[in-house]
Amino acid sequence: MNILTLEHVKKQFGGLKVLNDLTFSVPEHSVFGFIGKNGAGKTTAMKLILGLLNASGGTITVCGEEVCFGDTKTNRYVGYLPDVPEFYGYMTPREYLRLCGEVTGMSAGRIRERSAELLELVGLEDANRRIHGFSRGMRQRLGIAQALLNEPRLLICDEPTSALDPVGRREVLGILSAVRERTTVVFSTHILADVERVCDRIGVLDGGKLTLCGELAELKNSYRRDAVRMEFDMTEAQTAALCEKLRRLPFIHRSECDGRTVTAHLSSYREDGRELLAFLADQQAAVLKYEVMEPALENLFLEAVK
Amino acid sequence: MKGYHAFVKKEWMESLRTYRALLLPAVFFLFGMMSPLAAKLMPDIFSGMNMEGVTITVPTPTAIDAYAQLFKNLTQMGIVVLLLVFSGMLSGEIAKGTLIPILTKGLSRNTVILAKYTVSLALWTVSLAVSCASAYGYTSYLFRNAQVEHLLFSVFCLWLFGALLLAFILLAGALVRGGFGGLILTAAFIGILLLANLFPAAEKWNPVSLAAKNMQIIAGTVAVGAMMPAVCLTLAAAVLCLVLSMAVFRKTIL
Repeated sequence: MNILTLEHVKKQFGGLKVLNDLTFSVPEHSVFGFIGKNGAGKTTAMKLILGLLNASGGTITVCGEEVCFGDTKTNRYVGYLPDVPEFYGYMTPREYLRLCGEVTGMSAGRIRERSAELLELVGLEDANRRIHGFSRGMRQRLGIAQALLNEPRLLICDEPTSALDPVGRREVLGILSAVRERTTVVFSTHILADVERVCDRIGVLDGGKLTLCGELAELKNSYRRDAVRMEFDMTEAQTAALCEKLRRLPFIHRSECDGRTVTAHLSSYREDGRELLAFLADQQAAVLKYEVMEPALENLFLEAVK
Repeated sequence: MKGYHAFVKKEWMESLRTYRALLLPAVFFLFGMMSPLAAKLMPDIFSGMNMEGVTITVPTPTAIDAYAQLFKNLTQMGIVVLLLVFSGMLSGEIAKGTLIPILTKGLSRNTVILAKYTVSLALWTVSLAVSCASAYGYTSYLFRNAQVEHLLFSVFCLWLFGALLLAFILLAGALVRGGFGGLILTAAFIGILLLANLFPAAEKWNPVSLAAKNMQIIAGTVAVGAMMPAVCLTLAAAVLCLVLSMAVFRKTIL
């Protein structure tokens, strides 16, 4: 079942078109990475899903209910972490979580239980002072705690890792993939390593629409450009000569020589790989390293936003 | 209803921890104590001044003078303090973005407006009551024949005017972006009401007369009945501002 669906969503601010026919859906219990350059419209899209902005066209549904601008009922399914979360500085984290819990109608006992659990999860269990003295990273952690408090069915995080130290980033990503059992996560980022670590689906936003969307493993497969990188124990001149010979083979599109390393592009690794190995053996080339290259997410991304 | 209760609690905590709940009654208490004293000491102040031969005779002050001082303070400084303390109650939160995590949890926006109005109106009520009670007590102590007519009604008129201003502050906060938008628009609103008083026909209905004719009510030169059009209009305007602010805030971009 799709927990979130966007159909032909458009948004423009005056003459500036930010989103232009955005269509995608997120199935339950997945971690959806929303990738895009700075200013691509990720935050705008998220605010539309939360009913904080008025869409210029299209429909958005959360858990089967349509989102309307302003007071939207669908927000009761949602937990949201803004990119720069702002809290009431005169409260302590526990008081803030109590307010959040009371607002959503949780019982006092449940609020205490969940607050203690979540503050420990985000590493703020000892922070009993008021929020105005918190660093950005600490606010970000509190933001995650408040977003998860009422066990939302859809968790929306706007660049959750941007203000965190490396340890914090790792922890937050761990939290996001751990809550997948109970909830669906949509998070935006431009840090591709984060996406590779936790996402099972991605959408790349560029020019106001998704230029790439689907399961990460599948996308990587379909974008696989089979290539083999070989390192030789030979002089550079010998390597260059071998590269020249490789280039003349019918199943090799292209080969590049860089020092003692040669990268060869094949149509299909499965079919042509054996012939390549046979050729290398025939040439008595001293192979140090032989590596089939994985398509990196970075290449996928760069291709998608071209 | 649970959301309303929770948000009222939050507003009250905010008032306490930002010292709003202490500052406002304290300032109004000061007005209440200063006014009778200033009236009592007025002749001494004038006689103490060296006027180079000019003598000013000040009639012996009465309780009426004490209340005149009180209402002068309350309707001028008091209203300014009220505006400064509450003008950012909605616009400040919108500008900072502190409402976003709360509203995206499903709290209705009407609740935010109603809770803010409840707490600000309660603080205004308490402050005004403290001020008038202290003024009444001190005036009774300093002056003989301290009884005046319609004191409560006169205070009620001022209270109602404050209630209208608080509702208007919420409307202005929902309408105008930026932390000071609410303050400027509300100041403009008072300005327009004062200008409208230039037309004699409007005066009878003008809400601002609730904060201008307090002394005439006490002195008995304006009958209680004559204030009724303004009282009714102000009440209706306050309700209208509140309803409008909810309608506007529902569609405010945060």
